[in-house]
Amino acid sequence: MSARRIVLTSGKGGVGKTTTTANLGAALAKRGKRVVLVDADIGLRNLDLVLGLEKRIVFDLVEVVEGRCQLRQALIKDKRFQSLSVLPAAQTRDKASVSEQQFAEVVNGLDELADYVLIDCPAGIEHGFRNAVAGAAEAIVVTTPEVSSIRDADRVIGKLNERDMPIRLIINRIRPEMVRTGDMMSVEDVVDILNVKLVGLIPDDEEVIDTTNRGEPIVLVPDSRLGEIYEKIARRLNGENVAFTTLSAPGIFSRLFGQRKAG
Amino acid sequence: MHELQEDPAPGEETVKRPRGRAIVITSGKGGVGKTTMTANIGTALAQGGAKVALVDADVGLRNLDIVLGLEARVRSHVLDVLEGRVTLDDALVTDKRVPTLRLLAAAQTREKDEVDTTAMHALIDTLREQFDYVLIDCPAGIEKGFTNAIVGADEAIIVCTPEVAAVRDADRVVGLLGNRESIKLIVNRLRPELVRRGKMLSVEDVNAILRLPLLGVIADEPGVIISTNKGEPLALDVGSTAGAAYRAIAGRIAGTNTSKPLIPQPATFLQKLGSFFGGRR
Amino acid sequence: MTTIRGRGRTLEIAVDRALPTATAEIRAQLEERPAFFRGSRAVVNLGLVEADLASLVALRLVLSEFGITVDGVSGVAALAPLLAELDVPYLGATSVEEVAVIPRPRVKRNVSLSDGARSLVADFAGARADLAARRTEREAAALERRNPKNGAPVAPPAPAAPVASAGVTIPDTPQSAPAGISTLYHRGTLRGGQTLHNLGNIVVIGDVNPGAELIASGDILVFGSLRGVAHAGAQGDLSARVVALELAPTQLRIATMIAASDDALDPGPQHAYILGDRIAIVPHAAADLGRREVPV
Repeated sequence: MSARRIVLTSGKGGVGKTTTTANLGAALAKRGKRVVLVDADIGLRNLDLVLGLEKRIVFDLVEVVEGRCQLRQALIKDKRFQSLSVLPAAQTRDKASVSEQQFAEVVNGLDELADYVLIDCPAGIEHGFRNAVAGAAEAIVVTTPEVSSIRDADRVIGKLNERDMPIRLIINRIRPEMVRTGDMMSVEDVVDILNVKLVGLIPDDEEVIDTTNRGEPIVLVPDSRLGEIYEKIARRLNGENVAFTTLSAPGIFSRLFGQRKAG
Repeated sequence: MHELQEDPAPGEETVKRPRGRAIVITSGKGGVGKTTMTANIGTALAQGGAKVALVDADVGLRNLDIVLGLEARVRSHVLDVLEGRVTLDDALVTDKRVPTLRLLAAAQTREKDEVDTTAMHALIDTLREQFDYVLIDCPAGIEKGFTNAIVGADEAIIVCTPEVAAVRDADRVVGLLGNRESIKLIVNRLRPELVRRGKMLSVEDVNAILRLPLLGVIADEPGVIISTNKGEPLALDVGSTAGAAYRAIAGRIAGTNTSKPLIPQPATFLQKLGSFFGGRR
Repeated sequence: MTTIRGRGRTLEIAVDRALPTATAEIRAQLEERPAFFRGSRAVVNLGLVEADLASLVALRLVLSEFGITVDGVSGVAALAPLLAELDVPYLGATSVEEVAVIPRPRVKRNVSLSDGARSLVADFAGARADLAARRTEREAAALERRNPKNGAPVAPPAPAAPVASAGVTIPDTPQSAPAGISTLYHRGTLRGGQTLHNLGNIVVIGDVNPGAELIASGDILVFGSLRGVAHAGAQGDLSARVVALELAPTQLRIATMIAASDDALDPGPQHAYILGDRIAIVPHAAADLGRREVPV
């Protein structure tokens, strides 16, 4: 039974790829899946940081590629979960250290160890992006409802289409009140432009800043709205048909359909 | 710093202008506000009368034109110039709101690998002959796009948000920039209330690692997203707080503003009440 | 079974059979990883085993072949005159701990080993062929043995003729160690992603930011905040230490031990060195400044 290999990408930096990779992975692990997260951002690694695992890094992906250690030795097990591990990127190297083929081989090596391999893609569409995509069979594009992000997401979708892989969309950092006042694009607008299947809608939440700074996955915070949303995305990824919840903007009567959906 | 050409000999009419300053705006981490910063600082400098060229070095993922609201007027881009299809003058887009500002857009359908680093350096040098300031909007990351963006610049501005990942990436970039005339810091998207509650890094926390001279601090406000979506830089908005901060930064760069950067503080209760009842965003 | 164990900053070699046999066993164990203990000091505990002068000499020779100096021998009283002839202290019938060769410092905070800590022998002569020697035991206390998958011995470090092979991956480094001195001196802050390697010691005047790495076969001194990763004694010197004005590393490695602390560390200058089976962090005022032998 081979692992599902999914790359999380965006084109635009800073839209929440790493946070989403970490939390989606955590949510899947919480549901009992064996999950390995791979940080493809060589030289600017952050996935370990976001999960609070930076102090436990001994080996990294480049050392695996160079044969200086075994794949298993490089995996860091997150003890908060049944089966969640991280393969960290190297910090003191750069993306040219690894070829697309080498990266793909490493990911293939995870086949037996995982049900899901989530690959955290660096920003941009350069060598690092190509490596990350080379390791994947599916893609999730993460975007925010802002013009620049959407434009970049569109470019990335174009590139992913060249590789013929199934693509799903997560829209992150939605601010319902800004959508209401017309200052931010609605979900419908975004889906319309990008024309890709929606798998998650995540509202903007200041908790994320603190939890990522502290290295705590938000799915572990009890009663977290965002945590529940990541779990729903995990369920959808697993094939379940989960409705998107409606969120109301603070203090306003919620509309029936449209702008303030999330989940 | 300006390299002065020789003094004209008596009888010579033309005085050669001092060479312009080339400043790259970079960060390492994506999404921290480089492009918005470039657009606004450039606008503010130009409004002060300087001749400013903005260069979008994010080949393939260009956004500077959008943020300036100039996307409809872009006809050609950096690679067109480097590959000789178009003259530099023809490629530079004018901003009607700000007469001394020009934009050199990036190519959208090409790759960063296609830009030759030496040629890019020469291009920036050429721009410095004609403009007082050449601001280069650097792409995220530390790959070829980054290398190309920094090659022509003597000075750098690091944009960093108060988040651990952003600080780490910024630090990496500072290391890669090596010896440059000046490397300064702008902290962006500060949320003073969160800092007060201990839920966000403070400016001090950020600079404990980065240790750079501080050029300015911009507080997070929804107005910024709105302005970038609309293509109307806040530096043009007289009533905007962020706009004022951008203008202050421009002043410090130009040397006309000698004040130290203010660190935004949490709003007082009355201020919050005021904004709730329809004050300025 | 002859065992070699780390105790404080010394090795304790415990012998429970005839010394010639034990010596052969010791040689076999040391040959598995020849550079590992180089620079270490040992105390040999012969228990009730009797030994003659020749076998004592042979033992000392074997140990010194692998760079281990004998600080003392404990065992039966009959050993005393023999040891006197060899100029080796007779420690009586006592165990190492009571000998108080090194006064115990006041340890304010123990840095516990991270789970899954692995032993790490950095061989920056290039080959990392010692990979097979990496252990995956929990208590990375250096001395439990396992059959290495790849029996290739680690290349021994360069002999005393100083090799200032400083591998610096920083552009525009202002000062690097001149040839002939085995301490790499660097002035300036190390940024994330930058590394300093040296066969010898490393001194940094400046900060070492998170994401930066220092690897030295000797000691590491940071006159600034150490927030990155520091690996001292990277070729196996258990007595190496890390000292910093502010010790707040992402990870500390000394010889084969790795430690990370989740607790905030005390402010002020601190030393980190191996004490018992873990890396201890000791404030400067209380730190043992014990001498080390020839730098590796």
